[in-house]
Amino acid sequence: MTSLQSVRNTSSSVLTSLTVKGISKLLAFFSIASKTTSGRIGLFIVLIHFLLAVFGSFITPYSPTAFGAENLQHRLEGPTFAHPFGTDHFGRDVLSRVIAGARSIVWISVIGTTLGIFLGTVVGITSGYLGGWIDQISMRFMDWLLSFPSLLLALLLITIGAERFDIDESWLIIMVIGIAFMPNNSRVIRSASLTVKPLEFVQNARLRGEPLYYIVFREILPNVLPVIGVEATLRLSFALLLTASLGFLGLGVQPPTPDWGLMVSDGREFLSMAPWVALSPALAMGSLVIGVNLLADGIRQALQLPEVRSE
Amino acid sequence: MGLDRHPVERYISWIGNAAQGDLGVSPRSGASINEMIGRRLPNSALLAFIAFVVAVPTSLAAGIFAGIYPDSRLDRFLSIGSLLTISVPEFIIGVILMLVFSSKLGWLPSSTIMLPGETIMSKPEVLVLPILTITGALFAYILRMARANVMEVMESNYVRTAVLKGIPMRQVVMKHVLPNALIPTITVIANNVGWMFGGLIVVEFVFAYPGVGSLLIMAIDTRDMRLLQSTAMVIASVYAFSNLAADLAYGLLNPRIRYG
Amino acid sequence: MKKEREVLLSVAGLSVSFFTPRGTIRAVRDASFEVARGEVLGIVGESGCGKSTAAFAIMGYLPKTAEIEGSILFEGKSISDLDANELRSLRGNRIAMVYQDPTTSLNPSMKIGLQVAEVVLEHMDLSSSQTSDRVIELFESVGLADPDEIGNRYPHELSGGMQQRVMIAMALACDPDLLIMDEPTTGLDVTTEATILDLVASLKERVNAGILYVSHNLGVIARVADRVSVMYAGQTVEQSTVYELFDSPQHPYTAGLLSCVPKPPQEGGETTRLRRIPGFVFSSQESNDDLCLFSDRCPLANEKCMTQPPAVISSPHGSEVRCIRSHDVDSDIWGEVEQILGVPQSQSETVLMAEQLTHEYGKHQKKYVLFGPETSTPVRALNEVDFDVKKGRTLGIVGESGSGKSTLARAAVGLIEARSGTIKLHNESLANKVENRSQDERSAIQMVFQNPTASLNPKLRIRNTILRSLRRFAGLGRDESQLRAEELMLAVGLDPSYLDRLPSELSGGEQQRVAIAGAFSANPEVVVADEAVSSLDVSVQAQVLNLLEDRQKELGNSYLFISHDLGVVRYLSDEIMVIYAGYVAEYGPSSSVLSLPSHPYTEALLSAAPVPDPTVESNSLRLEGAVPTMRERFPGCFFASRCPRKLGSICDDSPPPSQDAGEGNGHVISCHIPVKELSAVQS
Repeated sequence: MTSLQSVRNTSSSVLTSLTVKGISKLLAFFSIASKTTSGRIGLFIVLIHFLLAVFGSFITPYSPTAFGAENLQHRLEGPTFAHPFGTDHFGRDVLSRVIAGARSIVWISVIGTTLGIFLGTVVGITSGYLGGWIDQISMRFMDWLLSFPSLLLALLLITIGAERFDIDESWLIIMVIGIAFMPNNSRVIRSASLTVKPLEFVQNARLRGEPLYYIVFREILPNVLPVIGVEATLRLSFALLLTASLGFLGLGVQPPTPDWGLMVSDGREFLSMAPWVALSPALAMGSLVIGVNLLADGIRQALQLPEVRSE
Repeated sequence: MGLDRHPVERYISWIGNAAQGDLGVSPRSGASINEMIGRRLPNSALLAFIAFVVAVPTSLAAGIFAGIYPDSRLDRFLSIGSLLTISVPEFIIGVILMLVFSSKLGWLPSSTIMLPGETIMSKPEVLVLPILTITGALFAYILRMARANVMEVMESNYVRTAVLKGIPMRQVVMKHVLPNALIPTITVIANNVGWMFGGLIVVEFVFAYPGVGSLLIMAIDTRDMRLLQSTAMVIASVYAFSNLAADLAYGLLNPRIRYG
Repeated sequence: MKKEREVLLSVAGLSVSFFTPRGTIRAVRDASFEVARGEVLGIVGESGCGKSTAAFAIMGYLPKTAEIEGSILFEGKSISDLDANELRSLRGNRIAMVYQDPTTSLNPSMKIGLQVAEVVLEHMDLSSSQTSDRVIELFESVGLADPDEIGNRYPHELSGGMQQRVMIAMALACDPDLLIMDEPTTGLDVTTEATILDLVASLKERVNAGILYVSHNLGVIARVADRVSVMYAGQTVEQSTVYELFDSPQHPYTAGLLSCVPKPPQEGGETTRLRRIPGFVFSSQESNDDLCLFSDRCPLANEKCMTQPPAVISSPHGSEVRCIRSHDVDSDIWGEVEQILGVPQSQSETVLMAEQLTHEYGKHQKKYVLFGPETSTPVRALNEVDFDVKKGRTLGIVGESGSGKSTLARAAVGLIEARSGTIKLHNESLANKVENRSQDERSAIQMVFQNPTASLNPKLRIRNTILRSLRRFAGLGRDESQLRAEELMLAVGLDPSYLDRLPSELSGGEQQRVAIAGAFSANPEVVVADEAVSSLDVSVQAQVLNLLEDRQKELGNSYLFISHDLGVVRYLSDEIMVIYAGYVAEYGPSSSVLSLPSHPYTEALLSAAPVPDPTVESNSLRLEGAVPTMRERFPGCFFASRCPRKLGSICDDSPPPSQDAGEGNGHVISCHIPVKELSAVQS
């Protein structure tokens, strides 16, 4: 066997085992989520939005960004069969815009939350386990970040970021979400890992001479995962709210890409004569976050975790 | 204006001035930043204060009731209601309220247009919608916290002791459940107050309310860095202050900390 | 003339079932007992037998998912027929309860005086000044110091023993007719327990009530109870007077329990091997109870036992037993009594030794970081402790909570980095922190912890834990590890199929066996057992102790065995160290340490330990207070604050010398009192 062939074999077997593991983890996730009513409803709503985010651009009946003379003839028409959510002030089909808008908000929030959770987990578990001055310094830094209200922090970071760096605003928002949520995540995960650390099986690992990475990833992390999971869903709902708020303030994704927050903001002008322009994205927004919250509640109940988060 | 000096120098001198209370002048409008903030800060404070005073006692009471009688009809109703309010961003709540009360019913103004010389107190109706919006979100949040904490305390051994002493339920709740459930609730609320500050900023923007929040947004829109810096600093300081106050209050309330 | 026996509580055919999503749990299947005024009925059983559930059923305090059958009659009236108000007027007033954990049973935000006054105000018609007087009177009657001002304190300012006294005061406040005590001394140190048991015994004389005392500890029951009811798997299996029960048990389970308990430390003579009850408790989720629930473990079980439930047989003088073979029951049915032989001392070399081991917790903290008065001082957990473990022998370390024994265990193993002192393995110094030791050094010293559930990673199957251990220590290949893992499981008495299970599928005793297997997988020379059997039921404890002993016989390893239970320590140990507040009070061969001459503290421990024999009169030597938290170095003896034999100012001014007891076997006592005087019994 040539080395190339063996490399291909190993990588395909690794890929298969990862995919199998991934699928089984996903199935496990679905089964936990569907144990309770709220979990099932939440999962359903979230899945719909998720599918829209991925495949949305294929199913929009009209182009969400079209801008032409023909459109302008249909401005601000109420909900009809042709336009179930009506048209906006530029004659664009609101339904299409809402479907298309799912993509940016879902992607940005999901990736931003993942980033925040990842950073928070690494910092939280390691500094919780190591203790000492490493712990002190990282927690002080987190405290400093926490001394800003999160929206304020986000606004500042975006403004500075947009001024100084020339990156796509989606990535900027993702990074901002990650940074803004990292401190709270790290505190929660740190306190969870502090409850795991004194447990005797961790001490047994020390007695076996296990290296740090083993203790952190194979002993502590699996037992902290439920907490991380619930935290992730909670943060996701905050991230969605934050992204929408930023959009509303005009600091989110820029037009012509549809953004729910911005759509609501634009629709304010026509509130009395054409409320559907603002209400449709609002409805979509609200349903998504409700779905995420229901899912979080469902998972929490299924895993029988306490409802109260300390700090 | 000293723009010829090095940016770092300018920044340092700004800090120095700020420490003395002089925030300088906005390069865009030429107006004094001190004056702008000074005019708007009391408005924001008024808004926050009233929202707090309205939201906190009602939500605590509702949360306590829901915690003592979980799965009652009122509890279910409150749970669903709070889920909705928490899930919907403040600006959407604000817009919906605007739609209902302003556009359709015409009872209240949709934005706060103040003529020079007018103060909030002279046109109190502009306060209603913003306060309702903030209160809605706060209410839901506090309700959930209070409910969860009360439920946890109801399961504790000392509540069992109290019940098995033959004391009437009302007394058990007042003397044993509440003192121990409220302390962690108030702490968590106090620690998460920062999120309410964020909500304030958005709400002020939605209703064009003349407070520091909308000033901040204005600074961002016009890329007025100096105004942005100053406003952000003021907001952050007030936030830090309120956190400190909350910590102190917690220390006073918890007998373990008070008596060591 | 014999006083009329007034029955206050009559429980007949009680059954309590809980409906959970995972199935029905039958916590109590068929319990019957009576409590009469002026009498203490002890209910004894191991965990899961339903004794606590029965106690709460009497109070009418069961969750809504519970279904109760049978009758509970208090003064003739059925508890289940009462409405909420009637029940409320009984609780705290005519029936009162004392709970297992006083710390969580008191409202942390309320002054204790108020908490006791609450009961008085609710049920008795007294003015507020009369109430305060009553509260002070109650505090006095339960032996609390400063009864006038102690009411102003909060629960967290009191020790465990004091908190429990407050709970007893609260229960006695309205002169109840029935007092239910649910394992009231289980969380307390043995010296504190002894004082509380004194109090309970005195209540019999002073108070005009019937007492229901629930416990798993046979020694405690022997001390306080007049009559005893034994519960197994939700049924009452035997009931008789306390003397009869201990002298001639009628039920095989009772006989088994009695032979499982290690011999009291005060008794002299050779140590005899513990008998044990094999198998596991009948599951509370099993619905088919059409047989004798004990038959699968009973040495006397015949075919009839396994197919028909045995009837309850009453004898003319009031005892009852649920067994058809009760006339065949005696102490021999659980095996013959064997002696244990230990390795003679002279033949052993030292394996592990420590010199001047010292450790502190916490830091010196000043109020203003670098200046100002000190806000916190470190706690001196260990003060220049020496010990010496010889090959094939066991060193037992005895102390109460706060004595430093756990710190000692963890420092020896390296989980805690001792601040100073040396630890040597075969005369080679070891690093104080386990991360700094070599893998060989780590494999030589392993540990078994108190909490078996927490010793295993709940997310990993048993196989992973054992194989990982084998891989780290023995470096075995895949097939060899599998073989060795199976060997290890068999060696601890578990079927190799257990390797595929998750820890949550095992019982506490089984989990502890797995933990022991894990420790032995490293082929250690020393195994440190930190309260390894303390959280296990008596019958399971016996199984694990025998297991440890067998392994030592076969492999020749040594043990550092830490416990607060002198009886258990005596069973396994060749040498014993008595530790108090981080200092060594006494050290030497077991038989010498447990007999005179003794350090005053050892004496107090021995007299406090409850003996499972009601005919033995309890020694009245008692210690008040609790083990102090030593924060400063002070000049005198560590025991001076509580010593009943304190000489005088010499004890406060200078540290006690380490005196040889003159027996030629290395027995030393740290005391100012000359050894000759310590040989005299103090009663």
